[in-house]
Amino acid sequence: MTVAMEDTETKAVSGAEIRLENVTKRYPNTKAAAVDEFSMVIPAGRIVVFVGPSGCGKTTTMRMINRMVEPTSGVITIGGKDALHIDADELRRGIGYAIQQAGLFPHFTVAQNIAVVPGLLKWDKKKIDARVDEMMDLVGLDPGTFRHRLPRQLSGGQQQRVGVARALAADPPVLLMDEPFGAVDPITRGNLQDELLRLQNELGKTIVFVTHDFDEAVKLGDKIAVLGDRSTIQQYDTPDAILANPANDTVAGFVGAGASLKQLTLLRVRDVPFDTDNVIAVDHGDAPAQVAEKLRLADRAYALVLDERQRPLRWVHRRELAGRTSLLDAGKPVGDSVTTQSTLQDALEAILTEGGRAVVTGARGELIGTIDISTVTDVIANVRETHADGGSA
Amino acid sequence: MTAVAEGLPGVSRTSAVERKSSVTARSDRVRLFFQPVAVIVIVGAVVVWALSSDLNANEQETLNLPTILTLTGQHILITLVVSVLVVAIAVPLGIALTRPGPDRVAPVFLALANLGQAAPALGVIVLFFLWTGIEGLWAVAIPLVFYTLLPVLRNTMVGIQQVDRSLIDAGRGIGMSAAGVLWRVELPLAVPLILAGLRTALVLAVGTATLAFFVNGGGLGELIDTGYKLQLNSVMYVGAALAIGLALLVDWLGGVAEQWLSPKGAE
Amino acid sequence: MDLWQYVSERWDRLSLQALLHVSGVVQCTIIAAIIGVVVGVLVYRSSVGSAVATALASTILTVPSFALLGLLIPFLGLGVAPSVTALVLYGLLPIVRNTIVGLNGVDPAVTDAAKGIGMGRLGVLTRVELRMAWPAILTGMRVSAQMLMGIAVIAAYAKGFGLGSEVFSGLTRAGSANSLNQALAGTLGVVILALILDAVFVLIARLTIPKGVRD
Repeated sequence: MTVAMEDTETKAVSGAEIRLENVTKRYPNTKAAAVDEFSMVIPAGRIVVFVGPSGCGKTTTMRMINRMVEPTSGVITIGGKDALHIDADELRRGIGYAIQQAGLFPHFTVAQNIAVVPGLLKWDKKKIDARVDEMMDLVGLDPGTFRHRLPRQLSGGQQQRVGVARALAADPPVLLMDEPFGAVDPITRGNLQDELLRLQNELGKTIVFVTHDFDEAVKLGDKIAVLGDRSTIQQYDTPDAILANPANDTVAGFVGAGASLKQLTLLRVRDVPFDTDNVIAVDHGDAPAQVAEKLRLADRAYALVLDERQRPLRWVHRRELAGRTSLLDAGKPVGDSVTTQSTLQDALEAILTEGGRAVVTGARGELIGTIDISTVTDVIANVRETHADGGSA
Repeated sequence: MTAVAEGLPGVSRTSAVERKSSVTARSDRVRLFFQPVAVIVIVGAVVVWALSSDLNANEQETLNLPTILTLTGQHILITLVVSVLVVAIAVPLGIALTRPGPDRVAPVFLALANLGQAAPALGVIVLFFLWTGIEGLWAVAIPLVFYTLLPVLRNTMVGIQQVDRSLIDAGRGIGMSAAGVLWRVELPLAVPLILAGLRTALVLAVGTATLAFFVNGGGLGELIDTGYKLQLNSVMYVGAALAIGLALLVDWLGGVAEQWLSPKGAE
Repeated sequence: MDLWQYVSERWDRLSLQALLHVSGVVQCTIIAAIIGVVVGVLVYRSSVGSAVATALASTILTVPSFALLGLLIPFLGLGVAPSVTALVLYGLLPIVRNTIVGLNGVDPAVTDAAKGIGMGRLGVLTRVELRMAWPAILTGMRVSAQMLMGIAVIAAYAKGFGLGSEVFSGLTRAGSANSLNQALAGTLGVVILALILDAVFVLIARLTIPKGVRD
């Protein structure tokens, strides 16, 4: 089962590979190392999420990549180049850095904040201005409205977007993010996570993302590193594999009891066998009496009313058709629907809202099929079996 | 000497540089409006009265425009010299004392500056004079620099230290050098507090400059003293009114600077 | 002769001046406290009133003390009257401001409870609000006292009380054998007394602020 992350075209990879070899951090006056012999390869153009309990050293490890914390020993290379022996400030100008509090300079406007690193790199003014507008568009903030605003005039979510824009402004191959969405409300967090995935689709950066929220890790990560004390790697694998086969009790504890449900976020409707011809679909102009007859012959209770573009409008029950002249106000409108792109979790929600079966639509909203609860539960059972047998995606 | 509530010896419990309470903030706005009015009224009325009423010969000797202007000029000069010196010493010193390393000796300097403000201003001026024999402008300016150092030094240090650590982390993290972070982030955000300290120092300086005449430094205090010695009430009033007017004006200018020179977004 | 000798020789006079200095400051602080608290109580409910009262008191602080004396002497003559008036006026701001902040800082739940059990307006004020604002008021008095210790030195110009007279004598007799010692005795005396007075305030705070309110 592949992780359906990108669309069918191959996307550009502008990220660089990060290698950490035996990286250790010891603080004076403490016996145990804070990070002990950490080794990992972070593939170029991928999102790797460090997840673990507070104090395990995940943030420290990430901060060693851009030397905000200097490693005591070990080797770190980015794109093949040694990161430890060049000037630290210069290194950081080539790495994007986004933190939880956004860290926007309160006395700089949005534009001035985003322009900081290009300014440090001595880009010329025109290039910087153009880039600022480009970045603002990229994160969904209209340049005309927001260019001259101050951070205090922005909401938490908007501030985080500016933070991300600032991190990406100089087009670094690597992006470090330290719980960047931790300080906003869950709805905004979900939006920001979706935005990040969309950005990544376009840009293909190498992203190291630290979080303590395992659900966030599953949603965002191409690979997840579950870290324990002193940043020891408990398991480093795709979300799929970890959910299906936690390496030890620590990881299992992290995954939690809802592993099956979490798998629902990894699968998409198009990956599962939903019904394509199991619904009686009729046009909104059809006569109700005809539809009633059709249903009787097929021995079905419900019909789905479509518009002239084949888009689902309403569900109609056979008994509601008696005495009607038009289908347009019969039955109930279709509430929630999903596309082939939607995750199984969205599908499950839609199924529950609609009462057992949800409509699946295509790119232009036209009816493709339906999906019901038994399809979903069958899929989950299958996935667990596959991973339990030792096969992984 | 004027008295200001901040930075007094022994006020250790309440943080010496408190965030302005809303009462103080609102009263500041009241003063921002009415103080210049008060200045114009007081000074205008007094000066006009002094120069237009019938003065006897003694009074005329002191209450004439050239004398008044000279004394006022001296007074302003003292205030300016002290302010420039205090900023030139206290701000760089304050910055230096917040850097890791030098910050170990910060308590020593703060204690010295505290001492400077604990001692009564007149005492310090007189001691300096008796000790060095210097008279005139410098006899008053140098002790005053020592006396008004604390508010600016302490406010500079606290202003820099209260900058949110995450901003410094963000600045270094995206590639600013340590000096870059200091100049572009820490200092601009410390400006409001530094200006507040400077305003305190200015008010102290302009008020204490009334004592300059004790060591031959001139200033408006001389008018008051002359009036006192010659038993001429009118002269005392004019001297007092001018000194008060000047002090209120300087305080008001300080308030305006606080409002208008702080970077937007830093308050 | 050096400072120690000077002080021990002139101990009688110095100690008298010191005592007068401190007692004068303390009395003026108390008067300022009475007036200041009354003003604070009258205005703390109104934000305009508070702003105006605080503004007036701050403006007084901006006035150079020597100039204030210059205004008062023609009216009040020399001696104690102008000195006390000036000191009380200066002592007002810290007390007024702290009274207002202290009274407004009382948890509304507490005053509510007091009213609920039947305390009248005056009762709530004196038995609850003022008691809870007391730490702030005391701090205001402490700040005022420190200020007044320094200003009282200038008051000696008006032939008032205190160690300021030592400083003035030292000045007028510049060049003579003991002028420096005299000025030094006066200045250092004020500094030391100020520290002692501050310590006394700390003691009073410990004694009068019940543990439940102390921060």
